[in-house]
Amino acid sequence: MNLIAAAIAVGLAALGAGIGNGLIVGRTVEGIARQPELRPTLQTTMFIGVALVEALPIIGVVISFIVMNR
Amino acid sequence: MQQMFQRQQKYVFYLLSLYTLGWGFTSYKTFFLSLILGTVISLFLSWNLARKVEKFGRAVAQGKKVRSIGTFSRLAAAVLAAAIAVEYPQYFSIIPVVIGLMTSYTVIIIDFLLCKNKQHP
Repeated sequence: MNLIAAAIAVGLAALGAGIGNGLIVGRTVEGIARQPELRPTLQTTMFIGVALVEALPIIGVVISFIVMNR
Repeated sequence: MQQMFQRQQKYVFYLLSLYTLGWGFTSYKTFFLSLILGTVISLFLSWNLARKVEKFGRAVAQGKKVRSIGTFSRLAAAVLAAAIAVEYPQYFSIIPVVIGLMTSYTVIIIDFLLCKNKQHP
């Protein structure tokens, strides 16, 4: 049961992170391709966006690891 | 971005020094040691993220391909911190490790909000 709980937690966390990161990276690539001179601004936005998106999956992975070892 | 990242790293180092003082001079040794472990790994996470984003932006501007932005390695680093905390329960406790892991992300968000308010009051 613990293994299933850990798998669901880490799977859903990775799914959310994948979708979020994909959206952010896709829009950044579009922006840089359209206006290369805006690269620093877009990179900063991407940095903050990826940090926001990745905070939750990291908690999810740690929680699933704890659940798995219980 | 480099300026912002260096500023955020400075804040995290201030926090780390406070935690070290707490570890050295208070009786909550396990709590502060766990916070230090989490914050050190969190520093690595933010450094890795900044490096990958910089590399990604440069590659896109030059029209090259980028294989990944390193999400998996960051998740693996977080698991490493949790594994250390689970393996040595006499030195570390898990909740402060998770709080420490979130430190750099919290610093990034607070710094972003402060800078945004400074630019557009």
